[in-house]
Formats: sequence, structure tokens, C-alpha cells
Amino acid sequence: MHSKFDQKTDRELKDYYMKSLLDVPANRQVRIISIAGGKGPRQMLAQMGIGVGSVITVRRNAPFAGPILIENHGVSVAIGRGVAAKILVEEL
Amino acid sequence: MKIALVGQPNAGKSTLFNSVAGYKSATSNLPGTTVNYTESRVHVNGNVYDLIDFPGTYSLSATNEAEAEVRKYLLTGHFDLIINVVDASQLGRSLPLTLELMELNIPVLMALNMVDEARRKGIQIDTEKLSRLLGIPVQTTIASKNIGVRELFLRAKNIINGQEPVRQKRILCQRDVEAVIEEMEAFLKKHLPEKIDFPMRFLAIKLLEDDNYFLKTIQDIDGEPILRKARELQKKLVKLRGKPQDSVLTLERHAMAMDIYEQVVTIGHPRRDIRDWVDNIIMHRILGYVILVLVLASFFMVVFKLGGILEEYLLSGFEYLEKGLLSIAPGDSLLHYLLKSTLWGISGGVAIVLPYLVPFLIGLNLLEDIGYLPRVAFLMDAFMHRIGLHGTAIVPAVLGYGCNVPAVMATRILPDRRDKIIAAIISSMVPCSARSVVIFGLVAFYLGPLWALAIYVLNIFVIAITGKVLTRMMPEVSPGMVLEIPPYRLPSFQVVKKKTWFRIKEFIYVAWPLLIAGSIVLGMLEYFHLDEWINLGLSPLTSLLGLPVVVGTTLIFGVLRKELSLIMLTQALGTTQVISVMSTNQILTFTIFITFYIPCVATIAVLKRELGGKWMLFTVILTFTIATILGWLVHILSFLG
Repeated sequence: MHSKFDQKTDRELKDYYMKSLLDVPANRQVRIISIAGGKGPRQMLAQMGIGVGSVITVRRNAPFAGPILIENHGVSVAIGRGVAAKILVEEL
Repeated sequence: MKIALVGQPNAGKSTLFNSVAGYKSATSNLPGTTVNYTESRVHVNGNVYDLIDFPGTYSLSATNEAEAEVRKYLLTGHFDLIINVVDASQLGRSLPLTLELMELNIPVLMALNMVDEARRKGIQIDTEKLSRLLGIPVQTTIASKNIGVRELFLRAKNIINGQEPVRQKRILCQRDVEAVIEEMEAFLKKHLPEKIDFPMRFLAIKLLEDDNYFLKTIQDIDGEPILRKARELQKKLVKLRGKPQDSVLTLERHAMAMDIYEQVVTIGHPRRDIRDWVDNIIMHRILGYVILVLVLASFFMVVFKLGGILEEYLLSGFEYLEKGLLSIAPGDSLLHYLLKSTLWGISGGVAIVLPYLVPFLIGLNLLEDIGYLPRVAFLMDAFMHRIGLHGTAIVPAVLGYGCNVPAVMATRILPDRRDKIIAAIISSMVPCSARSVVIFGLVAFYLGPLWALAIYVLNIFVIAITGKVLTRMMPEVSPGMVLEIPPYRLPSFQVVKKKTWFRIKEFIYVAWPLLIAGSIVLGMLEYFHLDEWINLGLSPLTSLLGLPVVVGTTLIFGVLRKELSLIMLTQALGTTQVISVMSTNQILTFTIFITFYIPCVATIAVLKRELGGKWMLFTVILTFTIATILGWLVHILSFLG
């Protein structure tokens, strides 16, 4: 049985209507749907108040280069592309 | 009175600590710079406090080693009071930690710091309401200007003595989640096989958060039923909130924090900040790198120009003094050797090291304080990925330009052991201020600043290759970067001054005496012709590198402190005009060898502590091999060119 946070489920869902944080252009607001991968990055993000359900703004997203810069309640956080790829979001 | 200073990265703990404790702790506008505790007995208003400055931590969940240590010490340190330092301009983000600290059954006093910065952003905080909602006393401070600090410590004393009554509340979660926590707590109270000294509610929350450390603690005391219960309740939480069990409570706390935040804060019109605009340029994907190169290049130029002028001026003064020596003692007497080597030890510090060290440190501290360094991490993330690490690893590497010791310690902010090992090895290869002194004093001075810059570029190149090779040796997916980019700050003159003085003081009190002693030892070795034996022993190495045999001894001194080899060089050659006895190629070879070979004793010690003996030895051998190969290459190339 797959839980809601299973990687496979994520991938299936993604095919339908979600995208990863990598695919969001700058200056858009998104809501986080799920964060796949290990608990390390998930806990690090949660410490900064970023988790499933958070609404964040993408500040900077240079294609193929460097991390994604996001803003959450006035705090800027740089998220590496590896982590960003595992964050599924929906645009608002 | 034992007081813990706890706060999130960049909240100003170290600044507060330093404003009462003199200069003991490293502050910067860079998350993760205080990685070990600084403990100090301080006197404020005639009272004595034992103050412990903790590394910055976002929460009490341990996602990296530094945080795990904060938590362990807080739980076992028997503190009378926690001063929770909070960045007022980031109150919303800071409150979750406050809520966690309140679970520890230790009185909490909040220092609402940087209220000036908050006001500038248009943030008004109703401190009375905040204090009432949390049930903890709140004192506003501006630590960098020493405002509110006395009052803070006065209140700390009064709280500990019971003169200021504190009715600390328990901030409860929403009812459904709270019920789960209470169930866990009740179960713990009943089934915990041994008496464990942790606050039960805190332990319950951490178990529900899937915290590795506490799960293991329970496992070690055969608490299988407790673990089973925790797993069962975790599932319940997941169902209630639809979030993964490892972050549901943390996010719940953030929601509570935002709720409190919204009740106490009114946001006026933030003055449209020029800083956003600045970031658009500084972190731009093309312009950003142009600026990065410009900043670094002009930084080195200024250091070199200033240092060069001072060095030349000061050295000529010492040469004059040296000539005077001959009139006191004849040239081949023991007294002459003694006086001459002492004088060289002194002049080495004043005329060669300080002219470069002072501007170098001021510049680096300015860049750090403004907040440029995390931007460098942002810009360098793509590059660091090429060598198998991520942007966060640049933080220790950049700190390494100041001194390798704190750099290696700063690798604790990396959550992954493999990342930590690679970052530590890389950091120990970064030319620290002592090695920069050698580069500036020899290569820039005799060959020109472009050559010096070339050495730095070569160094980055070698580091990149080393990193690449090491990551190949330890293939593993690194968890990636999550790094806060703090706002720019106007550098505080006081802080930069104190921080620079902190390092300079260390040079004057620790390295300089060593330098003078080393100089005398070398003088004596020379007088009794013992240095020839050492040089003979090292002659295979020196001849391989095409260096004069007499520099052999200086290489040994370099392991103690890198600047020593420069001073010893002038002594071994018998002149401060190095160019008269060494060719430019030899100067280049020598400098490159010094830059890359074996880290200094202090760095070796910290490597051993952080990584263990095996990796320490590995680093020593690795760097020595790299230095020898590079030195040899430069030597060979000089034949061709």
C-alpha cells in the first residue's frame, strides 16, 4: 500500500497536474503539495516553516544554473536544485 | 547564575555575548559561524554571570551536528535561565524556537534584538502583548549599539532570584494534535523503563517528530513498546494533518508562531528597500559573477597595495636598525646572532605579517558583516555541484580564507558526514590569512600582484579537482542545499573593529612570540652549524623543488605557523631582500609549496577532532603530495620557460 508521500505516487500525480519547484518561473506564488526524498531536507525546510501546504514565492530561478531562491514570510531561502526537484507544487 | 544564550542563526547572540564579554566569539552575517560554545564569566551591573553562547539553531530538532549538540547541552547543562535572542525583524520565523525552548522547563527570557532594523522595515511589535501571550518576559535590545543590554541582564538576575515573577505558560497546540501529544506523554510517564531526566512533554514531541537521536535513546533502553506507540501516534498525526510525520509537528509549531506573530505585529509601510534592487544585480546569473570577480580582485589589490607600501617602509627602518647592531656586537659573535635573530623575529611580525594581515582581515570581516558571503554561496552552488558538493559547503571554504581552524569547525553545519569530510579537507587547503601573508609578502611583492592572483586561482582549481576526486571516492547523493540568505546589514564599525582585533590579538600573543622564539632557535642552529644537518636531511625535497638547500629548516617551521616560514626564510637566507638570493621561479615554487603543504598544527588538531585521526592523516599526506607535485611542476616549467 502506498502512502500519500510515496515517491511513486508523487510521480504519478506529477504527470497529471503538478510540477516541481524547478519548473516554476520567478515571481510566482506556489503552494507546496509534497516534498519527496529523505527526512533530512524535509526537516531542514520545516525548521524554516516551509512544508506541505506552505505558500511560497519563487524569487529567482535561473534555468540550468544555481539554486532556486524562494521567500517565505519575508525570509529568503536558497534551495539547491536537487532538493527543489523533489518539491512538488501547484501554482496559485 | 548559569545562563544560556540561544537563538536562530544571525539573530545577534554573539553580538550580545560580545557586548558584555569582551571579544571572544565569532560574529558575522553568515548563518552557522558559531559552531562551538563560548563560555565566559561576565560582570554586568556588579553581578557575575556564567554566560554560554550557543551556536545558532533554527529549532531543537537536530538536522545537523551543531544543532544536535545545542540540544544535548541545553538538556544536560543545568541552566538557571535561557536568554532567547530573537531578531525582531524576523519574529515570525523565530517564534517556533521560542515555543520549543519553553518546553524545556527552564525559565526563558526573550531578548527582542535588532528592533531598529525591524522599525526600518516598518514592523511594529507590541512587546507587552507578546510577553503576555507567551507568558515570558520580553526585553528589547539593540546589541550592536549596546542598547537594552544592561536591562536585559538585570532582569535575568531578578528572574533567577525570583524578584521578577514569571508565570510561564504552556502553549498548547490545537486540540486534536494536543490530544495526541498528551497521549504520548502519558504513555511515556507510565512505560519509561528508567528514570530519564528529560522533560516528558518535550521527549514526547520529539518522538512524534521522528527524531533520530531520541528514537535511538529509547531503543537503547529497550523501550520497544514506547517506539511502537510513537509510530502508532505518528500515523494518527499524519492522518489529522496530511503531512509527513517528520515535519508535521514542526509545521504545526510554525502555524502557532504565525498566529502569535499576527496578533502582536503591525506592519506599516516598509520603506521600499533599495536592498531588493541590489540583490537583483548581485545575485544576477551573469552580472553576479562579474561582480564577484570584481569584488575579490579589488579586495586583493587593495590589500596588496596597502600592505606593500607599509612593508617596504617598515622593512627599510628595520634594516637601518640591523646595521646599528654591528656597532654593538661583532658580526660573528654569539651575541650578534642572538640580537640579529631577535630583531628579525620582531621585524617579521611588524613589517611583513601585520601590513597584510590587518587590511586583509578588515576587508574579509566587512564582506562577512554586510552579508555578501551567503550570496557567494548562492552564486557558487552550481560550481560546487561540479565538484560533488553543494553551496552550503562554500561557507566553511570562504571562512578558510580567514583561518582554517574555524573553517573546519564550521563544516558541522553540513548535515551529511561525507559532505562534512570533503568540505573539511577542502577548507584546510584554502589559503588562510597566514598563507596569504606569504603569498603577498613574497610573490606579490617580488613578482607582482597578478602572480599572486594566479596562485589563488590555481588554488581554487586544485581544490575543485581534489573535491571531484574525493566525491568520486565516496559516491553518495548529498542531501542538497537549504540555506537562508540573510538581509544585507550595514556593517557595524564596532563589530568589525572587535573582530579584526580578535584575530590580530591572537597573532600578537600566540604567533608572534612563537615567531621570535623560532627566529632565535634558527639563529642558534646557524651559529652552531646545526641547521646544515636539517637542511641535509631535507635536501632530497629541496633539490627536487630546485630550492636553495638553506630553506630546508624554514619548511619545518611552517608547520607550526605558516607565516613562520616567510620570516624564517629571510633569516635562513641572511637577507630581507629575498630577490637577491632566490630567482623569481624559486620564490614562486617556494610559495606554492608553502600554500599547499601540510596544514598548520592548529588545523591538524581541529581536523583530528572533527574527522578523526584517519582522515587527519589522510589530509596531511594528501596536501603534502599535492604541494610536492605542484612545486616540482613549477620548477620543471621554469626550465622550459
